[in-house]
Amino acid sequence: MNAQDIIDSLMKSFTGTISNAEVVSDIRVSAYLDKEREESVKTVCQYLKDELGFDHLSNETAVDYIQKGEIEVIYHIASYDHPVLLTLKVRLPRDAPVIESIVPVYWNANWYEREIYELFGVKYTNHPDLRQLILPDDMLGDWPLRKDYEGFPNRTANNLV
Amino acid sequence: MDEMLSSSEMIVHLGPQHPMQPGPFRLNLRLKGETVMDADIELGFIHKGIEKILENKTYLQGIPIVDRICYLTAMTNEEAYVGAVEKLADIEVPERSQYIRVIIEELSRLQSHLLGTGEFGAFIGFVSMFMYTIREREDVLSLMDMVTGARITHTFLRFGGVQDDLPDGFEDKVRTVFIDLKQKIDMYETLFNSDEIYRTRCEGVGVLTADVAKNLGVSGPPLRATGVSFDIRKDEPYLVYNDLDFKVCTQKDGDIVARIVVRLNEMRESMYIIEQALDQIPDGPLFFEDSLYGRRTPVMRVPAGDVFHRVEDPRGEMGMYMVSDGSDKPYRAKVRGPVYPTMQALPPLLIGTTMADVAAIAGSMDGCTSEADR
Repeated sequence: MNAQDIIDSLMKSFTGTISNAEVVSDIRVSAYLDKEREESVKTVCQYLKDELGFDHLSNETAVDYIQKGEIEVIYHIASYDHPVLLTLKVRLPRDAPVIESIVPVYWNANWYEREIYELFGVKYTNHPDLRQLILPDDMLGDWPLRKDYEGFPNRTANNLV
Repeated sequence: MDEMLSSSEMIVHLGPQHPMQPGPFRLNLRLKGETVMDADIELGFIHKGIEKILENKTYLQGIPIVDRICYLTAMTNEEAYVGAVEKLADIEVPERSQYIRVIIEELSRLQSHLLGTGEFGAFIGFVSMFMYTIREREDVLSLMDMVTGARITHTFLRFGGVQDDLPDGFEDKVRTVFIDLKQKIDMYETLFNSDEIYRTRCEGVGVLTADVAKNLGVSGPPLRATGVSFDIRKDEPYLVYNDLDFKVCTQKDGDIVARIVVRLNEMRESMYIIEQALDQIPDGPLFFEDSLYGRRTPVMRVPAGDVFHRVEDPRGEMGMYMVSDGSDKPYRAKVRGPVYPTMQALPPLLIGTTMADVAAIAGSMDGCTSEADR
């Protein structure tokens, strides 16, 4: 299966949901997912896993684009069988970022989503165990990897002094 | 997890400090008798905020920072970071520099597997194995020290090249060390194979099947021990790995013994790669003459864009997702370490085993909390 086939298959199955799909190189494709319809992330991931052989969630992360007022959640989905890696991006409003969890599809998304939740404040619906992973309890709500995080001395640091 | 269901159950906290652990993390185990009923990992005891630090450093200042994600795999961490920046800024690396990088990175794999095997031996009470491997590891570290000037955190790669050329006498020293090391690795294999207690404890314990391992997102030796031939050096070749002949070491059983065999075979394969690289390495400059970037590039602006660069770390698939906004600092740098999914896969692997096997299984996965926490 080559990169162009994957894009064609995605565009055909999710017309109107997938946009900006492009072939970056022989082994890289990228696409945006417009998160308007309910459960679309999970549905797309299930399709990728079942139909296109993308059985390995390589990475899930987020980026805070403060100027645009958006938080982008990024999935890097690869395969154990073919070398193509798909970069799937979802734009969320910065003031209330909510997205469907993909843990039912990719089991190892669990920790990635917990981490994005505590660092960026992205709420995952239907996540089995959404709590903080690497930060202390009292830092929940600070969202330290957002660009407007104050840094030192912040609320948490003041408590220590 | 916090609630005990009956009076015959007990909760045991392994850690945050425990001799079995490769760094501070807490493993909560709910036991019924000797059997593990439930397991849960708590991270965050060594969280360094590397991703936030990288956002506040210039690109060159980031290199020593990524070294410290995990000291065992400093070279592959650097390769992920520097490779990602080179892709973003479209920087070409001369062939000689690429060969030097391959040599140092394979040496790094060698010493990481040596310590991983030895530590595993120490976890199951086979402490003499630790003494053996740590001795040989020091020889490998001396080789890296000769080139980079540091035993563990090297800060050796630069954008578009490497800091220094190979020193005089390096090739002879490598070949001398390898003659010895090959015999020693055969000796480790004999020691493991001939040890009745080791085989009784580890054969058929902590078994991962290929389907389960894929589902858990595991990569590196634990995955290859299940028979899946997944190696970034083959699947998405970087540097000059395409010109080098090596095979991906796999085993079928997926148990602890298979993981150790994969590591021992990978050490032999790494030495084979280094010997080839030393034979094939061309003469030439370390940096291209017309390159905008060189050894010292304190102010370096990288064109806007994003890139996900993957390399094969000793523990598995290492990735770096970098976003640039055109300034001299990364807008976002996400470290995707191989240990993170491996540690995440530990609780399901432990459930149903006995308390005595916990250290053996956890040790055979070769975790590193420092990298999982970042």
